[in-house]
Amino acid sequence: MTDKHIEMHGVRKSYRFFTLDDLSLSLSPGEVMGFVGPNGAGKSTTLRLAMGLISPDAGEIRVLGQPMPAAQAAAKRDVGYVSAEMHLLPNATLGWHMDLVKSIYASWDADYAARLVKRFNLRPEQNARSLSLGERIKAVLLLTLARRPRLLILDEPTTGLDPVARHEVINEFMDVLQDDSRSILFSSHNTVDVERISDRITFIDRGRLVESSNKEDFLDRWRRVQLQLPAGAALPALPNIVSRNQDGQFVTLVTDRFSDGFAALLGPHVREVQRMTLEEIFVANVMRHREVRGS
Amino acid sequence: MYSGINISQTDARPMYLQIMEQIRARIAAGDWPAGKELPSIRALAAALNVSVITIKRAYLDLENEGVIVTRHGKGSFVADVNGLAGELREAQLEQHLAEVAGIGRELGLSSEDLAARLRRAMEKK
Amino acid sequence: MNIVTRKLIAKELHVNRLLVGIGVAAGVGSTLVAALGSTGFNIGSLTWLSTIIGMGVILSLYGIMNERKEHALEFIMSLPLSIADYVRAKIIGLALCFFITWSVSVAAALVMVFAKDSVPDGIAPYLVLISVFMLANFGVVLCGTMFARNEGTTTLIIIVTNMGVTLFMFIVAPMPGIREHMWAAAPVWNSAFWTVLACELAVLVITLTLPLVTVARRRDFM
Repeated sequence: MTDKHIEMHGVRKSYRFFTLDDLSLSLSPGEVMGFVGPNGAGKSTTLRLAMGLISPDAGEIRVLGQPMPAAQAAAKRDVGYVSAEMHLLPNATLGWHMDLVKSIYASWDADYAARLVKRFNLRPEQNARSLSLGERIKAVLLLTLARRPRLLILDEPTTGLDPVARHEVINEFMDVLQDDSRSILFSSHNTVDVERISDRITFIDRGRLVESSNKEDFLDRWRRVQLQLPAGAALPALPNIVSRNQDGQFVTLVTDRFSDGFAALLGPHVREVQRMTLEEIFVANVMRHREVRGS
Repeated sequence: MYSGINISQTDARPMYLQIMEQIRARIAAGDWPAGKELPSIRALAAALNVSVITIKRAYLDLENEGVIVTRHGKGSFVADVNGLAGELREAQLEQHLAEVAGIGRELGLSSEDLAARLRRAMEKK
Repeated sequence: MNIVTRKLIAKELHVNRLLVGIGVAAGVGSTLVAALGSTGFNIGSLTWLSTIIGMGVILSLYGIMNERKEHALEFIMSLPLSIADYVRAKIIGLALCFFITWSVSVAAALVMVFAKDSVPDGIAPYLVLISVFMLANFGVVLCGTMFARNEGTTTLIIIVTNMGVTLFMFIVAPMPGIREHMWAAAPVWNSAFWTVLACELAVLVITLTLPLVTVARRRDFM
């Protein structure tokens, strides 16, 4: 019996024009995993598989110890799912939805819900149809957060949110993590947020896992190196070069295996060694992955 | 509660280093005296909206430096070492001096020139 | 039954309450119109038929397709229920909505037939048969809409089932055992009646349970 919140082994899902292949992923309690990848990479598909909304062609999925999609009704009792495409039921108010969720989940915290209504600047009398994009996302987040689920699965949860709302929402997510028995898996294009609050980062591109690791180690390993080679000077032989760009005397290298040993090999012509943001690593990683696959 | 600690993502330095520096600064200033309990890793993570793993790393490195002490199951505390605040202040001074020396070299100043500039700066205050 | 299923059934009734109310009013109203002379009877009975059929169509279309279109399905499926629970809730909920309009309208019509002397009581069995036919018809529309993956198929189902009522009248009315007693003074419940009724009920049961057996087993709901 495992205590991992999400386990995926060799998961495969085929569609006509897209295949998610050999995906393995695991999320432990107390962890935040940022799920990053270009559009169409398979992030939403993966999250839907985790929720049991679709079922894999091959491989195993367990959420909170329950096999998915078979035991989805049981698993979903303690999982909160928010997707940017989600809409509330038309012709009903936010308040009606709050009552509905409250009647279904024993863990509904009415005080917390009331605080969230204020913080997210919503009104219970609002009709679902009249909600703007940002309000709709906040409403679904409210309905999910207020019942304090053990696992949160979020598909682009900060879409359409203004900076203040985003700050409030991220605040609530981090509050969730004060309880080390709860965890979050979220996909986002906002690499700044992912870089900031994730414990682990998983990259996916064109249906395949590119990388999944501990965020700090990850950011530690990637560097952009700038060298200035005078005429006649050769580029030192360096391992693990992801990309290389030369403009006259100036050479820019990107490595994904930076270490003290690597630094020692750089030679006298190095001008600067820079850390990279998650966004820059993301682009470099994906470009390299596509080259390797010959696409 | 910890609104004074600020993590900037536009800062070139990694987040865990910024946190370590700000904690060291508070200890050096005496705001966080010896023996004071540090916020729990998760509490600080939630307060700063920063990942738990980043705070863990900061605390680990601070412990390796001897600046804090972690007691299993109890929490982390500012190291109860005499003169820790002073030591950290000294370390800060050395770091600034190294930077000054570096810039001085770039500008082509001699050590006498630099000493004169330093004297003037001290008189100004 | 899963509490979520119960809540969703209640939701169905709540969300459709206005529609059902209008249906009941129209059903009873058209019965009253049918009681006013022979022109009234023609108009009233036609309206009565249209109300019940229309109710079935709107409920199925709106109740099923709309939820899919409006992306509300993702929210519902994020609740702790299985696909089978959802299908069950949908069918029971919508069937209940329809049944309310249907039962009140049919009861009103039967009362009118027996109370009004100018309308021969012999038509009662035929009335029952056509009523249960529309119930079975609703089953077909509901079942078909659950299966349908796009609006084109749904529209086709609706057109076909609408024609079904006319077909029913052409086939059953002239049936031996029915035809002779339609305008009699007293109702005759003979074997022809029971046979047709049995067929209708069979269709109803099959159409309402088929989705539970097939759609509910679908592994990809979205």
